[in-house]
Amino acid sequence: MKKIKIDPALKKILQDFSASFRSKRQNVLQGYDFEELRTALAELKDRALDQNENLVAQFEEKARAHGSHVLRARDGARANELVLKICRDHGIQKMVKTKSLVSEEIGLNDFLARYDVEARETDLGEWIVQLAAERPTHMVMPAIHLTRQDVAALFSEKMGRRVADDIPSLVRLARGEMRREIFAAQAGLTGANALLAENGAIMLVTNEGNGRLVTTVPPVHIVLASIEKVLPTLEDALKLLRLLPRNATGQTITSYVSFIAGPHQGRQYIILLDNHRSDMLADPEFREVLRCVKCSACLNVCPVYQIIGGEAYSHIYMGGIGTLFTAWIHGLKKSKELAGICLRCHRCEEYCATKIKIADLITALAGRLREKTGVPLWKRFAFDGVMAGPGIQRAAFKAARTARRMISVKDGFSRKLPVWMKKYDRFRALPAPAAKPFSKMFEKEFVPAESAAESSKGTVTVFGGCLIEHFYPEIGMAAARVISKLGYKVRVAPGLCCGFPAGNAGFRKASSEAFAALLKKIEIDGPVITLCPTCATMLVRRGPEAVSSEKAKELAGRTIPFSRFIFEKEWEHLTKLMKKGRPAQKATYHESCHHHNVLRAGRTSRKLVEAALQTGILDMDEPDKCCGFAGSFSVDHPEISAALLADKLAAIEKTGADVVALDCPGCLLQIRGGCQRRGLRLRIAHTAEIIDQQMS
Amino acid sequence: MDPEIERFVENAKAVGSEVELFPRVDDAVCFLKEFFEKNEIKSALIAASLKHREPFDREFSSLETKLSADSIWVAAGLAAADFGVAETGTLVRLDQSDEEKNVWTLPETCLCLLEKERIVPRLEAIAPEMARHLARTDIPSPQVSLVSGPSRTADIECQLTIGVHGPARLIILLIG
Repeated sequence: MKKIKIDPALKKILQDFSASFRSKRQNVLQGYDFEELRTALAELKDRALDQNENLVAQFEEKARAHGSHVLRARDGARANELVLKICRDHGIQKMVKTKSLVSEEIGLNDFLARYDVEARETDLGEWIVQLAAERPTHMVMPAIHLTRQDVAALFSEKMGRRVADDIPSLVRLARGEMRREIFAAQAGLTGANALLAENGAIMLVTNEGNGRLVTTVPPVHIVLASIEKVLPTLEDALKLLRLLPRNATGQTITSYVSFIAGPHQGRQYIILLDNHRSDMLADPEFREVLRCVKCSACLNVCPVYQIIGGEAYSHIYMGGIGTLFTAWIHGLKKSKELAGICLRCHRCEEYCATKIKIADLITALAGRLREKTGVPLWKRFAFDGVMAGPGIQRAAFKAARTARRMISVKDGFSRKLPVWMKKYDRFRALPAPAAKPFSKMFEKEFVPAESAAESSKGTVTVFGGCLIEHFYPEIGMAAARVISKLGYKVRVAPGLCCGFPAGNAGFRKASSEAFAALLKKIEIDGPVITLCPTCATMLVRRGPEAVSSEKAKELAGRTIPFSRFIFEKEWEHLTKLMKKGRPAQKATYHESCHHHNVLRAGRTSRKLVEAALQTGILDMDEPDKCCGFAGSFSVDHPEISAALLADKLAAIEKTGADVVALDCPGCLLQIRGGCQRRGLRLRIAHTAEIIDQQMS
Repeated sequence: MDPEIERFVENAKAVGSEVELFPRVDDAVCFLKEFFEKNEIKSALIAASLKHREPFDREFSSLETKLSADSIWVAAGLAAADFGVAETGTLVRLDQSDEEKNVWTLPETCLCLLEKERIVPRLEAIAPEMARHLARTDIPSPQVSLVSGPSRTADIECQLTIGVHGPARLIILLIG
């Protein structure tokens, strides 16, 4: 993996932007049901994609009836040629453009420059970026990486005089320059936010007003739009318009929205670009990517984007969704590095305007990448070699336990790790393997509560997962004690890997094999209570997708996260058993990605912790932002993992809490290890441990 | 005031528009004359729909100008909206000519007349009118313009700045 540099100034700009975006967005969504709006929009886009071919043909016919010239381009090269031909036919030497991501996709500006046609951007951010000979680093805020001082220095250089660095004068100056260019141009090129099949109109959504100037001032208007933009009716476009500005920039509506049908004073050419979109449409797994309306909310909340920015996290299209487009449009190979940058934290999916399962699709892409382009040797060894087979898996962890003496264990942390592991434990101390795995410890040491013996509540299976099995058996024991005191007989699932890590790294076969082996061994005759939300995600979602059997379905149906089980089934009973009058503790809660974004169990955990500690949770900033563990991500990108952890620790420290509660042993490993390195004396505890402590 | 109209005014202001209320058209014309005088405005773009309509023709036709590559600035534009949308404070115009389209974006200040009775709660309420307009083939280029506040950008350091390409001021003259 390529090391990615982190620029602290850029990180600050992007993180501040994210915070302001989230708060503005929340404000304009007040009184609206986001879930309902986006479900309707996703369904609408799906229906439009189903009949894409017909709708494109209908749009074409209607646009022609208005006098527009409609052209089709199978790929980028063809689209570039078509634009060039229009330029030659009309003697166009200078063209002004506005927000056409598609033209970036096909490299139009550079292509035209080779034939002496100047293409000038007019969106302020893009105009600045083009002046600086750089590339946009955000889909909606192209120059977000530049400060006012950068812009002033750039203007001073280009205009040959000193320019003050206050924003209104910079904007004023750009206004004059851009207006002159628009009036001097012989053509204007725009994208389209939607193409309306019922009347051949295009919808353009802008704030600056350049969309209107570019389409009305020059004599020729060229529309360059990709085929998935077509919607059946104006009413559909209004549904899009209701959500797009709210989700994109936190505005109720943008300053200008234009529906344009037909050519204005001169001519209008509409180029409809395919560029591998038909291939995506034909792929049942990935076609939903074409639901994307390019609002970029996913980017605005992406924890990694906020740290590394759009230059590092793009080929042309950015972030997680951009990675998916890249794989189809620019080829699998170009998407390989990008796919490895996604944390798979699923936060973007909470914000997506059309409910695209971005993180799941990146995982599916990782599978295709592994099969088609290969992976690093260590991953092949770890996932194909070790994790896929139960026997060798057990042997590997046993070997690690015997190495405890060599790595010198103190307070549960490893002190003498091999040199090659240094970059992984510099920012976060790594735990030592436990002396006994959870399943063995339970078998030998667990004493059921007296109440459980007489109770008729039945048996539950506790599923710890690898981290609890091999590193944190005490969490498993705590959960078992709580469940036993609530009157259940407790059984522990076989200490086998669920297969998630292998699947996440693209090893689909190894993942299915591991899951199948677990499925064979596990007994399901009651609830299966999970202590790790990542394992739970495998049991309820990924597993049944990989192995379709009745038992897989049954396991999915019976699986329930620890906190949800207690909250839904035993809330009142639990509050009675909790010991009162313990000294107050100040606690905060970290929302683990899979627990919060996939299982949606974060709320129940918070309530449990509050009840157990008899105190309100002290909220940290962005409790739902990834701590940076994210499985093998922290091995591939230790520098990003460290930066995410630093932010998480800072957010925790700011609350003044003594206890950090969470529900994922992976996050616990990361945060506890980070505290150890920083010398923070905090208790990092699983919800099960907190409840167990308050009950005894 | 009708709650729908109140909501329109509130939301128009929230997106940065200025709103002036007048009982009759003549009062709005007085305001415009004073505004042009006070700001020493000698030329303006005037929407086609106001050109042959009294009292606008009589009062303002002398200000009328056209823009070209040699003359790219104009201080004011006078427009008329077909509808107002209360939910977002949006002006809606079913544009028929190129001049009309430019009235919204080329001037430094855009002044727009709107009759109170033309205010609808949501955009969806006028979707049929908009769709019918866009389907017209008897005029060269039907366009529906939705305008909500002045031209704005946040492209430098995410700071909201107005008047980047289009008007820095949008003044709505609400009549009725």
